[in-house]
Amino acid sequence: MSEKSTPLKKGTKTGILMLAISIAGAPLFAQFGPPPPPRASEKAEPSPGVDLTGYWTPPMHEDALERGGGSELGDYAGFALSEAGRLWALSYDPSRVTLKHHQCDAYVAPYQMRAIGNFRIWEERDPHNQTLVAIHIWGQTTEGHRVVWMDGRPHPPAWAPHTFRGFSTGKFMGNALYIETSHMKQGWLRRNGTPQSDQATVKEFIVLHGDHLTDTTIITDPVFLTEPEVRSNDYFRQPVDHHAWLYACDDGEQITGRAPDKVPHYLLGQQPYANEYALRYKLPLIAGLGGAESMYPEFLAKLKTATEADFKAKLQADTTRPAATSRAADPEPHDGEIHVLPLRNDVYMLVGDGGNITVQVGDEGALVIDTGEGKLSDKVIETIRRLNPRPIQFIVNTSFRAEHTGGNLKLGAAGADLSLPGSFFGLQSPAGATGQEIDPAHHATLIAHNNVQIHMQEAKLPPDAIPADTFLEDRRRKFHNGDSMEMFWEPNAVTDGDSIVQLRRADVIATGDIFTTTQYPFIDLKNGGSVQGEIKALNDILNRTVYEHEEDGGTMIVPGHGYLCNEHEVLEYRDMMVIVRDRVLDMIKKGATLAQVKAFRVTADYDTRYGASSGPWTTDMFVEAVYADLKKSQK
Amino acid sequence: MICACVIVLALGVRAGAQGRGGRGPAAPAGPPPTAKASAPVDLTGYWVSLVTEDWRYRMTLAPKGDTDGVPLNEAGKAFAAAWDPAKDEAAGEQCRAYGAAAIMRMPERLHITWQDDDTLKMDIDAGTQTRILGFNPSQAKGGDWQGVSQASWDRPKSRMAVGFFAPQGDWGGGLKVATTRMKPGYLRRNGVPYSANAVLTEYYDRFDVPGGDILMVVSAEVDDPMYMISPFWTSTHYKKQNDATGWNPTPCSAR
Repeated sequence: MSEKSTPLKKGTKTGILMLAISIAGAPLFAQFGPPPPPRASEKAEPSPGVDLTGYWTPPMHEDALERGGGSELGDYAGFALSEAGRLWALSYDPSRVTLKHHQCDAYVAPYQMRAIGNFRIWEERDPHNQTLVAIHIWGQTTEGHRVVWMDGRPHPPAWAPHTFRGFSTGKFMGNALYIETSHMKQGWLRRNGTPQSDQATVKEFIVLHGDHLTDTTIITDPVFLTEPEVRSNDYFRQPVDHHAWLYACDDGEQITGRAPDKVPHYLLGQQPYANEYALRYKLPLIAGLGGAESMYPEFLAKLKTATEADFKAKLQADTTRPAATSRAADPEPHDGEIHVLPLRNDVYMLVGDGGNITVQVGDEGALVIDTGEGKLSDKVIETIRRLNPRPIQFIVNTSFRAEHTGGNLKLGAAGADLSLPGSFFGLQSPAGATGQEIDPAHHATLIAHNNVQIHMQEAKLPPDAIPADTFLEDRRRKFHNGDSMEMFWEPNAVTDGDSIVQLRRADVIATGDIFTTTQYPFIDLKNGGSVQGEIKALNDILNRTVYEHEEDGGTMIVPGHGYLCNEHEVLEYRDMMVIVRDRVLDMIKKGATLAQVKAFRVTADYDTRYGASSGPWTTDMFVEAVYADLKKSQK
Repeated sequence: MICACVIVLALGVRAGAQGRGGRGPAAPAGPPPTAKASAPVDLTGYWVSLVTEDWRYRMTLAPKGDTDGVPLNEAGKAFAAAWDPAKDEAAGEQCRAYGAAAIMRMPERLHITWQDDDTLKMDIDAGTQTRILGFNPSQAKGGDWQGVSQASWDRPKSRMAVGFFAPQGDWGGGLKVATTRMKPGYLRRNGVPYSANAVLTEYYDRFDVPGGDILMVVSAEVDDPMYMISPFWTSTHYKKQNDATGWNPTPCSAR
């Protein structure tokens, strides 16, 4: 769509006709035949709107340091940070942006609106009926392009991907444009490490008074905030195009020779610059450490009475409190249906039967990566058939775990490896017998690392549910449906049989449980998992990804559980794993027992995102696994 | 035939236009509605400021000369560099940072009421100040901290009467307040100045957040060529309270 609405050709019969139709509305259509079926854009409530289009620049008279050079570490005043938010911020080392994958981190929507630089707003209208389809907001810094859909479309489902700018819908309310934004990536509330999680949502009002535009954002973040964070930004109208809309960023080696498992951060309670902000401006030490109370006038009294002990207590987790649990939205639909998310090049993500399923379809038959729990296998099979009627030829397992292999039996039996009839395997088939090894023409071929086969055989699962086509070393490859499929074994990640699976041309990676958006890594020590192996596996994923623009888009990552990602979510997950490892290792080296590590709440800043106190993988189990593995490695 | 359609339909639109802003038929004769009766928005009640921006300047006393973000000219910077709170206290001018151009930035609570049908009254607990926002022209001399405030309802509108091409619908609106004749004061408590010639223009918007709080946002412009190279813009937000909880009138403080 162009940025401008289609102009009328004044003076022509066509132009007059269009004018007549637009004024007359529906009744006049009777003269020219029945009206077309309603478009999606016509479902929106009719409401007047104000013209926000033009070039805009923020004067940045408020928070000039934050929005210009950047705030000091330890300055979180005025943010309703939860304990998790405060500790996440205190753990942050600005050197983290020297890591290759962080160098081009974009800004999440509300921080984008506070960015330095120019903005442009334009409308996108349906060229046929001139209804407002979307309002576009472009921020020069990080080339932040926000699309505010005005046509009444719903927000995407919980398993849809997140972007830095998120997904926005809008409508006019009185004299304001009201916007709701969801599906953002993790980013900054403030550029000194004050975090906004991927679970945050934003409500926003934009009003115009003459040439003074004010944008008010209300950020709700169940992970890092205890109250909505309200901020307002001003912009003045620029009468001319300033021709400065781009923001080139490409990553490179800023620190050479750094080990791939190093992530700059400060250990809990050991942030050396936490008092710098207060000392520099001669403020009470507690001043910068935020919390909802710091937003209100009553905090003036607290500033006068707070002690150094109050300050120090805020530098680490409150050990008198129980561990928090995840406040993230459940990305599973739980409706008994299989939902399809198109990815790229005839590759799809199927959601609904436990673990995520990746399907590539084509003339050679489907290639299915993981088969879910198996509770909805019939619907999975039917869904795949609807995508392409050719049978499932290959099933690839990233793991032996039941959430990823539960559908092997049914999906395998519904498939056929038509490359093999007449071969040695087919000739050996006893009459009337079926099964992937003895009758491939009536069964898909199941592929996995050999350790997957061993674990499933030990569990005495039906032979036809167990991958028979296995590999032993680091890589298995196959060219299928015009794409290159590669499996990479990740020894000792969450188990000893995990693989990541990449479709090179589609640029999709299925990670299995090496990476999820729903829980701490399920490090299964009993079955060969390890902390270091998990970190290596996450880095191996990151070594195969390319972002499209400013850390958004590019290689698609299908996690074992959770929403569709790109490298940024893997990156934050890798950072978390390294940081937790470093904290536990530091305590082990100082002689801490497991009980002491748990009591210190070493995962306090991540528990509101990934923590669990019940279910198959609790925070306690995770910390116990990390401790046991690292303790063993120290001997 | 097509041109005839245009005329007929356009007239139809005009006939359908009703009500506001001179866009439709003339209203019945009689006195114009009072400001209270024609209010597009209800701003009355108790409000508490949410200090989430410029925190250090608003919640604490910034060091002398720290004028970051304010577009001061050389005279303004020199004035700020000479700030002496003891001198202000000795002169009985502790309220210099509580004038109209700055008081909305204080951590505070507001109580907004209708003093009469054409006047809003804003009591502020910080510094125990009161602002009078009159919709009728005022002949007051001003010269005090809060100056003279001229209020009007701020609705989106065209500068021209456009007849039957006027857009239809209700755009809502907010409150516009223009304040002049203020006693010279401080934009920030650490002596960042504004002069007696400063003009303060404020836009008050109320946002009823779906599923959330009721907010009021005050977008303010302070224009003071004596001390600034360009107008100083801020936007300050408040959350509505159900009652007077937390109302705590305090005297002005120079420190």
